[in-house]
Amino acid sequence: MSRSCIWRIASAIGAAVAVLAACGSETSPPNSSSASQSPSAQISAAAPSTGAEAGTVIDVTVDEGVATPTNAEVQAVAGQPIVLQVTSDAADSLHVHSVPEYIFDVAAAPYQRFEFTVDIPGRVAVELHDLHVTVVTIEVRP
Amino acid sequence: MTPEAAVTVLAHGVGGSTDLPVPLSYALIGAAWALAATFAVVAVAWSTPRFDPAKPGRELPAWVTAVVDSPVVRWIVAGAAAIFSIWVAVAAIWGPQDSDNALPGVFYVLLWVGLVAISVVVGPVWRVISPVRTVWRLVQVGRRDAAASQGRVQYRPDWGYWPAVVGLFAFVWLELASSDPGSLTAIKIWTLIYLVAMLAGAALFGSTWFARADPFEVYGVTVSRLAPFRRNRVTGRIVVGNPLDHLPSMPVRPGTVAVMAVLLGSTAFDSFSQSATFSNFVNRNDAAIPLVGDSAGGTVLRTLTLLLFVLAVGVTFSAAARAAAGVGRERRRELPALLAHSLIPIVVGYIFAHYLSYLVERGQETIVRLADPLGRGWHLLGLDSGDVQYLLSLNPTLLWTIKVAAVVIGHILAVIAAHDKALRVLPVGHQLTGQLAMMLTMVGYTFAGLYLLFGA
Repeated sequence: MSRSCIWRIASAIGAAVAVLAACGSETSPPNSSSASQSPSAQISAAAPSTGAEAGTVIDVTVDEGVATPTNAEVQAVAGQPIVLQVTSDAADSLHVHSVPEYIFDVAAAPYQRFEFTVDIPGRVAVELHDLHVTVVTIEVRP
Repeated sequence: MTPEAAVTVLAHGVGGSTDLPVPLSYALIGAAWALAATFAVVAVAWSTPRFDPAKPGRELPAWVTAVVDSPVVRWIVAGAAAIFSIWVAVAAIWGPQDSDNALPGVFYVLLWVGLVAISVVVGPVWRVISPVRTVWRLVQVGRRDAAASQGRVQYRPDWGYWPAVVGLFAFVWLELASSDPGSLTAIKIWTLIYLVAMLAGAALFGSTWFARADPFEVYGVTVSRLAPFRRNRVTGRIVVGNPLDHLPSMPVRPGTVAVMAVLLGSTAFDSFSQSATFSNFVNRNDAAIPLVGDSAGGTVLRTLTLLLFVLAVGVTFSAAARAAAGVGRERRRELPALLAHSLIPIVVGYIFAHYLSYLVERGQETIVRLADPLGRGWHLLGLDSGDVQYLLSLNPTLLWTIKVAAVVIGHILAVIAAHDKALRVLPVGHQLTGQLAMMLTMVGYTFAGLYLLFGA
């Protein structure tokens, strides 16, 4: 059997299975389940309170050394504002691992508001530095 | 802000965002191609071995070999690399002691990933540029007796690559399992131990020690088997040829499979450890580890999981390689090492899929930081952080396509290499059945790799 024939068979099989795979995937969008992965997430994405500009609002509370949520997942859009609303009973600092990075100083006070935008798409981890936990990972899509 | 407070836990120790996950459709299409290619290779491919490192290849002009072998050129390149290392050391010690320091980027991105990129294209360059080898050569220059470069003690052949396996694991442990991979102190301690271990070992065993124990050299030599350039074994001339002819020249030594297992297992663990599932698992259970606190408990859990990934790769590969009929006990024991080279394309493909954006984007950031080593606002060579191009992150579709293509091409090359080697080492009549376990294992690695790119 000639070499080109082998490749033709291989490509035919590959293409056929690929078509099947692509059809199958349309019925289950990949991103629908990601936000519900963390049971402790308390998140209002695209809350109406931010006004006309659609953005992402993430509520974070720190109570007696316990952060809520932890390891949550949220979607956001590059270039649009992301707001962290923090209620904390202790001073800490929030590190946003985007490009470039942001560091916000958290005071022991309710309803602190930190707004930022991320222009480079990617998965952005938001960490409470002193507690050493990842509060939320924001999937910033283009 | 105090320097202590500025230190934070960063992904891979270099900070910034990580790649968006690959969409399911990309992962499925990649998986479909991998599966189809595997069946095509097993079912209809050639039945006499084709690839042979002894093939002459296409010779490059004689001056290429002359330049590469020229002691002057080698000293210049080694000197440039040594000056670069000193530059990085100065930045590490006297530069800003926070996340603006260039050291983590040089260590985790330029060294760990850049070395793969350059080795797979050019060849085993670490042997020439390795700063410890340069120091060693300088020490040797003063001495006249040849015995010193041979070492006082004979390196035992049955140790093989095991010292390098320990070094490679120590590296991936620091990057992926330790509590703070971005800590400058941790990287400095690691580097110091590395320098002491390399030079002390060389004083005992001579330069053989570097070839067997330097994790970066073994890493570089391993992936360089996929390079298009190699040497004609008879004439020593540098030739260009089919990488699949080059691949079987990977030395078969004790620890060869373990090298692959550490490289592949750690990259897979890296994907897995970024998932919310694993972070939640660590957060829930880190207090349950006895004798240590929460933070150290997390390190213990990550270390054990990393070890589990590495062992899983090593055990499944060895078992699959041995699952062949019609071979004697002795031969069966040799099979995993004889087939180990076929894992190289999977390792390289997965490393590119996983770290390409890191190399390109964090690599640029690192070079910008190196242009201002002491944090004084210098812009040597006119480099500024505004110059960094985020082409891959801004075009996720392009990045996803490259990722899936790298994994699938690596898989196809691996299957072809394993098939060809099986024809050489397995007895006639058992060649097809003997490959099945290996092919299924490789499909398993690739599916797992694609799943991790999609899920993590």
